[in-house]
Amino acid sequence: MSRQEIYSPEGLRVDGRRWNEIRRLSCKINTHPISCDGSSYLQIGNTKVMTMVHGPIEPKNKSSLLQDRAYLTVNLNIPSFSFFNATTNKKLSKNSKKILELQVSLVNIFQDLIILKNYPRTQIIINTIVLNQDGSLISSIINSISLALIDSGISMYDYISSVNCGLFNSKFPILDLNYLEELDLPFLTIAIIGKSENVSFLLLENNLPLDALEKILAISISGSHRIKDLMDNQVKKSSKLRIKSINEQSIN
Amino acid sequence: MAIENPSKRLFTNGLVVTQKVFVRSRNGDASKVVREHYLRDDIPCLSKGCTYCQNILKPDPEGNFVHFTLSATPLSLEGLAHHYLVLDTNIILHAIDLIESSSIFFDVVIPQTVLEEVRNRSFPIYTRIRSLVRSDEKRFAVFHNDFHQDCYVYRNPSESMNDRNDRAIRQFCQWFQLHLSTYQDKDHYSPIQVVFLCNDRDSREKAKKEGILSKSLFEYIDYFPNANDLKDLIPNYDDEPSNDFSKNKHQITYPEYYSTAKLMGGLKNATLYQGIVNVSPYNFLEGQVSVPNLSKPLLILGRESLNRAFNGDQVVVELLPKEKWKKPSSLIMEDDVVNANDNADDDDSEDNKNNKTISISETERKLLIYEALKTQNADPNSESSVILPTAKVVGIVKRNWRPFVGQISSHSIDLNDLKSNSTKSCFVALMDKSLPKVRIRTRRMKELIGKRIVISIDSWPINSKYPQGHFVRSLGEIESVEAETEALLLEYGVEYKPFSKNVLDCLPKEGHSWKVPQDLNADELIKKRKDLRDRLVCSIDPPGCVDIDDALHARRLPNGNWEVGVHIADVTHFVKPNTPLDAEGASRATSVYLVDKRIDMLPLLLGTDLCSLKPYVDRFSFSVIWELDDDANIINVDYTKSIIKSREAFSYEQAQLRIDDKNNQDELTNGMRALLQLSIKLKQKRLDAGALNLASPEVKVHMDSETYDPSEVEVKKLLATNSLVEEFMLLANISVARKIYSSFEQTAMLRRHGDPPATNFTLLNQMLKVRKNMHISLENSKALADSLDNCVDPKDPYFNTLLRIMSTRCMLAAEYFISGSFSYPEFKHYGLAVDIYTHFTSPIRRYCDVVAHRQLAAAIGYESLDIIHRDKNKMDLIAKNINKRHRNAQFAGRASIEYYVGQVMKNNESSEEGYVIKIFSNGIVVLVPKFGVESLIKLESLGDPNSAVFDEDNFELSFKNKKNVKRTVAVFDRVIVQVKSVFDERTSKRKAELVLV
Repeated sequence: MSRQEIYSPEGLRVDGRRWNEIRRLSCKINTHPISCDGSSYLQIGNTKVMTMVHGPIEPKNKSSLLQDRAYLTVNLNIPSFSFFNATTNKKLSKNSKKILELQVSLVNIFQDLIILKNYPRTQIIINTIVLNQDGSLISSIINSISLALIDSGISMYDYISSVNCGLFNSKFPILDLNYLEELDLPFLTIAIIGKSENVSFLLLENNLPLDALEKILAISISGSHRIKDLMDNQVKKSSKLRIKSINEQSIN
Repeated sequence: MAIENPSKRLFTNGLVVTQKVFVRSRNGDASKVVREHYLRDDIPCLSKGCTYCQNILKPDPEGNFVHFTLSATPLSLEGLAHHYLVLDTNIILHAIDLIESSSIFFDVVIPQTVLEEVRNRSFPIYTRIRSLVRSDEKRFAVFHNDFHQDCYVYRNPSESMNDRNDRAIRQFCQWFQLHLSTYQDKDHYSPIQVVFLCNDRDSREKAKKEGILSKSLFEYIDYFPNANDLKDLIPNYDDEPSNDFSKNKHQITYPEYYSTAKLMGGLKNATLYQGIVNVSPYNFLEGQVSVPNLSKPLLILGRESLNRAFNGDQVVVELLPKEKWKKPSSLIMEDDVVNANDNADDDDSEDNKNNKTISISETERKLLIYEALKTQNADPNSESSVILPTAKVVGIVKRNWRPFVGQISSHSIDLNDLKSNSTKSCFVALMDKSLPKVRIRTRRMKELIGKRIVISIDSWPINSKYPQGHFVRSLGEIESVEAETEALLLEYGVEYKPFSKNVLDCLPKEGHSWKVPQDLNADELIKKRKDLRDRLVCSIDPPGCVDIDDALHARRLPNGNWEVGVHIADVTHFVKPNTPLDAEGASRATSVYLVDKRIDMLPLLLGTDLCSLKPYVDRFSFSVIWELDDDANIINVDYTKSIIKSREAFSYEQAQLRIDDKNNQDELTNGMRALLQLSIKLKQKRLDAGALNLASPEVKVHMDSETYDPSEVEVKKLLATNSLVEEFMLLANISVARKIYSSFEQTAMLRRHGDPPATNFTLLNQMLKVRKNMHISLENSKALADSLDNCVDPKDPYFNTLLRIMSTRCMLAAEYFISGSFSYPEFKHYGLAVDIYTHFTSPIRRYCDVVAHRQLAAAIGYESLDIIHRDKNKMDLIAKNINKRHRNAQFAGRASIEYYVGQVMKNNESSEEGYVIKIFSNGIVVLVPKFGVESLIKLESLGDPNSAVFDEDNFELSFKNKKNVKRTVAVFDRVIVQVKSVFDERTSKRKAELVLV
């Protein structure tokens, strides 16, 4: 028995949000300008993810060399300090299979998004570190990678933004779950390309009634769009700053 | 320990976010948990008089807006203006009965802080509050003050969590008062005061300083004109000086419960056990606890070992040293006999003398458990098997306390002192004999004597011999029909209140004029129904039946086989999952049939009209259609939702007459004849497979048609048509069980009946061997059925039936379960001798059938199955609830018959034949088949107790009777008894008293 009401009849969730509100999202790009080609830091609620992109660079070994396009590698690092408590820690760190699986899915998502044919015979390496976890882990990783890629200047078709959405009582969709809600509700994670309705990734690991799927998809798509806007604002803001500083440099 | 960070404002969507930081330890590790906490400014105050909050509403996912509950013109009392109440946690926890009463407490606001505290302290009370909020009748509202930016308070560095919460509640009261005075529509309504009810003096004083109007419960009730009556409803608790029981000279002290840590440790290393106490109905000081790793229950003897445990409590027990292991007593003991002279105002110390603690080391205790296992596994014939390991209660995990029904025990009060209106203590004897008396204080003693009353238990302090409770309400005169019926419904936890408005809202709007749609292509679902209106369907039920669940038809197919259809009312067409109607049905789980009353599971409109397969009208049904050959073998089976039109509704007798009437050769009658023939063959097959033919002494009470007084008792008769319907229902249930199991391997709702454990029959077989030289074999149900058939006493034709009644009692009860919780071989229904079984045929009166309908509908692709019926845990809960309700419904039904039989016997005393079925060292139990009653005859009323010799091996009791003639009575003896109905002082129930002639 959980000690709190996951979704109260008055329409408020454990942390005081309403059903369609996402958590506080803050992000930065170009956090590590020296050590890599593109970097980002993204925080949604208490989930904190950092990504660094290297590339396009010459492949480290022959096996990762493709004649017609770039070779994409994703390294996911979820250190044990990022977890809430000891029990979940054991669960995931041993189960590295799950992380491998996630890396493969991430490669698949971004393979289609990056215009890889522009960079033949090179490699693009994406390193992601999860600093803190409080739900919607996978969508935060996707959002953070998306930002870092933009920062690196690698050509992409569009943003990719992701969010998760749960279902309360087989009836009410609930957007952007935190850790407590993820324990209790079935939920799916979705990634959307740009402002379109093209779903590039959908992950569902629990049971969800089929008839509720449409509702959940609709709300997650609009949630993704909101996240895309928030990221876009940040990118534009920091781009302006960068242009300004470049201009100042060139004047000097 | 919480450390609060300063808040940060989030500009993107206008919310303030703060962090809740606390340290949690689990398994000795400490970990820091950080949670986000959003503070908002758009939480409506829910007052209809507020002009501001209407404008800040946000829709829920379905587009609905929250409903404003608090009245714009709340109650005003003399000396207290129009006011809203804000309740503190302690008030809710202590006075929930009062809060639920329909006379006071309207327009109440529960702050979230309080609601969460209540939820952590007592989940049942939380659900009661939530249902009050939901029902709208008493205008309760929850305000989420912890999420409101003006009401949230940060915890100060040295402040305890409780103090912080109290401060948060006061902060809310202050804000609410300010909010109301700012935004209330003053042109139309008079100003509203916020009244903070709190029983904590300290908090009240602080509130006064902060300018909040605060009252204690007593002070608040004093404003009411009928304050004195209401005060009785306030429970006893220690804060109030007038309710102090503990200042007595002689004190009894129960052993203290172990600390939680010690209990957890003990359970972990298996020196302590957890189980549910089962108090013997014959001896209130003897209980048994079944624990998982021992095959036989542990015995708990004596008041001190029981240590304040109630029947049904979940407790932790510890084994006693071996020299204290004992036999279960063959004595009968009743509370009132033993403690008749206890004074309600003080406690005596009789049990206190042997209160020496025996200390046993951990290792010794472990050895003791091996001994216990050894003893229990020993050869059943050896001496040691009779001795059971005993244990004592050292902790209570969960109380089984609920409202109890009882009456003031007349011994405990001074009848001359009734005139004064001061508060007095008295004992309430509960109807359930296995429970102790409860002490209550009331100032309305005079009115309450001779009434059935409902009480609630507050606590059982360590130094009080009896638990303390408070009066809730009065049901009426003892022995009046209304009071007794309500009492037994309450006692068995049957929900009998009328259906609430939101349940009734789920019914079709057309009401009684609802009709099967004419257009059969109207929507996707109706297209999937088969039109079976051309089949000659009829229903056969008991006379006067209005909720017709089932109907049948049979017709000859061109190939010579029979098409037989069983049509079941399509309840799930109206009862959709996740509606209030479904929730209500699931919680009631079964209709309850009393002699003069029926408590429906579903609203009357469905049960007796829209779902009921009434004759001459079109109805939706769920049909199982077989192709059977002449020997009733199944060739083919088909399940379909359908539309039928019943041609006739017969009673069993009418149907029998029609079948017997040779001249009647119409198609319907011939169909019925075919059904009868097929059913006889089905029955024979079932019996060949080993189905049991058991008996229970079922009787029926005839009511006088004018006065509704019970006039006559009759043993139920069975006609061939009864078994006609029964056979086809069994067949349908079995077929459906197979189908839903094949589709839902983990969550199919099924019914099983376990093999009876051989130990249950040990005593009966011993008795049979000694007294009659007979034996019942138990290898399988077939052997049991055959051996039962062979146990015939030529001198006594009733003996066989008696034996069947007694063996029925040795059987396990059948139970509902989820297919995932047992393996396939354990699905077996022992009594019916089939490998798989469910209930499908009575969805109007059983919830299991509703679930089976939904699962079958999904299995045939009619509609998709709701998630709750696919989730194993949820289904497990459903099955558990159905089992419990089903059992209680049976008990309630029997208790109702017992009451009426008592009323009938009141007027006609007679001498009847009876049979001895049990022998104790100080009494015998006799069953009278004619009335279906059994009763204990105590040795004192048989004759001279000192002359009695109890021969345990031969099940004989010999004694000198009143005329000083020696007489011997043994088990299975036929005796003549005089049947009288007497009024039992202790339980205030009329019950049969038998006197040996």
